[in-house]
Amino acid sequence: MHRTAIAARALAAVLSASLVGLFVLPVVALFFYAGGSGLAFAAGDSGFRTALEFTLLASGMAVGLGLLTGVPLGYVLARYRFPGRAVLESVVTIPIVIPHLVVGIGLLLLFAPNSPVGRFTAALGIPIFDAVWGVVLVMLYVGASYIVLTSQLAFRSVDEEVIEAARSLGAGPGEVFATVTLPAAARGILTGALLMWARGVSEVGGFLILAYAVYPTTPWNGPVTNAASVWIYNYWGIDPTAAVGASALLVLVALAIFLAVRLLDRSGFAWARGGFFS
Amino acid sequence: MSGLELVDLRVDRGSFHLGPVRCEVSAGSATVLLGPSGAGKTTLLRAIAGFLPLVGGSVLLDGGAVDSLPVERRRFGFVPPNLGLFPQRRVRDNVRYPLALSGATDAAGKAAAWIERFGLTELADRYPHELSSGQRQRVAMARALAADPRALLWDEPLAALDVESRDVLVRMLRDLLETERLPLLLVTHDPTTAFALASRVVVLDAGTVRHDCTPETLARGPLDRFVARFLGYENLYSAHELAEAQGASLAPQLVSAAGPGGLVVPPEAIVWRSDPAGPHAARVAALRWTAAGWVVALRHGSLTFHVATPGVAPGVRIGDRVGIDLVAAELKPLIGVPANGGP
Repeated sequence: MHRTAIAARALAAVLSASLVGLFVLPVVALFFYAGGSGLAFAAGDSGFRTALEFTLLASGMAVGLGLLTGVPLGYVLARYRFPGRAVLESVVTIPIVIPHLVVGIGLLLLFAPNSPVGRFTAALGIPIFDAVWGVVLVMLYVGASYIVLTSQLAFRSVDEEVIEAARSLGAGPGEVFATVTLPAAARGILTGALLMWARGVSEVGGFLILAYAVYPTTPWNGPVTNAASVWIYNYWGIDPTAAVGASALLVLVALAIFLAVRLLDRSGFAWARGGFFS
Repeated sequence: MSGLELVDLRVDRGSFHLGPVRCEVSAGSATVLLGPSGAGKTTLLRAIAGFLPLVGGSVLLDGGAVDSLPVERRRFGFVPPNLGLFPQRRVRDNVRYPLALSGATDAAGKAAAWIERFGLTELADRYPHELSSGQRQRVAMARALAADPRALLWDEPLAALDVESRDVLVRMLRDLLETERLPLLLVTHDPTTAFALASRVVVLDAGTVRHDCTPETLARGPLDRFVARFLGYENLYSAHELAEAQGASLAPQLVSAAGPGGLVVPPEAIVWRSDPAGPHAARVAALRWTAAGWVVALRHGSLTFHVATPGVAPGVRIGDRVGIDLVAAELKPLIGVPANGGP
């Protein structure tokens, strides 16, 4: 091999390894410093366990709402041409580029308890400030874009001929969506949901402003708590050892969920493969 | 009538206008749509299936208009160029799909029967990407027929198939026409398929029907440039090309024989001999082997004639000078194509 080519490959390998190292080493350091005792302490701490349970509940709600609103939007952006579509596509990416502390401030200005919108949602039984719905709202804001974008890509990649073939075989538009389009796009949507979930669980900035402490409100009927990330942030200043153990546990839970979804995906969603007729 | 009937069908797609198209495909027969790329063949098929709105005319099935029905209620067995198989479903689920949609009793059993009929039983658990092109075609046919269609619309069903697979599918299609007694309208670029299957040929060009006739009439009738190319003639010359020919002593004879669209010089219209003596001569420019035998390219001034020598070695080498003559009776003048169309 030419010497220049060898040097180029070596340089590419070093640069790539540096980035991979940057991704992996902080996690390794976290587990190294936490150790088994740190993990056990975090798992045994009722305060952190509550925060973790609350975070899983809120993130599940947020992903549910993200799927409910993001998948239709992704479908519309993928399948229809209309004036303002490019603007709408840009709007979808806004949450990705705005600093999340700023997101929290914006949401607080809109949903503050004494604001018209805040009063309206409270009247509906959905208080936002320092409530589970505030956490869900922040998670939805910072993460739903991933569902929209991946759904859009997934829907766009469904072959138009497949859809037309289904129509000619007797399927109405709704049946085509349920039996052909949605199953074909399911993996892309799942990826978006996973990304949204991970983004929501790792959020801090928006929570600090809008829902620093979470007071019991339906559907969270537990004690006053924080999102897990906020709990860790708090303890970093009080008890760094506890914060490191909790961080390691949070990473473990996130990895476990990621792995479970991926395994489920690899083993094959029967519904996604065969639609409603499997 | 029993079958598919297009009555002055017109479709607009931006600046492209298709029609009026009038043709009939009787039950148990096949009509082939021919035409160059952009002629409107696929547009016509998609409009009949209901994917494109008509701006005029009507689609009749067994005498009844279907153009006001949505796609899913027209019951056309529409197979797009890339077949539209569901990639995430196995063969058996692809074929079962229309049966399950219609709520058919014993959908699995009926699907299995279609799968068996198309020789796909061994492949029933495979996904489309695990099949060959010919196998995928058979799945598409089985699935289309499982939907119990009233007519079949197939867009390039035999494209990208090897000769053997194509022959198998042509036989299957002929059997289907006989047993199912369905009208079949198909697009193809392949003359072998067209002549093997079609009882009628409709030639579209720039959205207009140029010919609607039997394959035999098409081959024997006055040729235009597209039909001549489709029939496989290689020696096609425009009138201008012949008039401007340089160093070709046969040019005056060719010019006088040409029609408004030019001239076809079929291989049988060229007589050549290895002895260059005589009034007209040419030089061997190329030799190539085809399944039908040797083809010799003879350069006569600025004109090139391709001549087949079936079954025998041509006995010349590239660069050799040869004698050449024309059989005037075999020359085929080309008719012109009017600028605004019209059958």
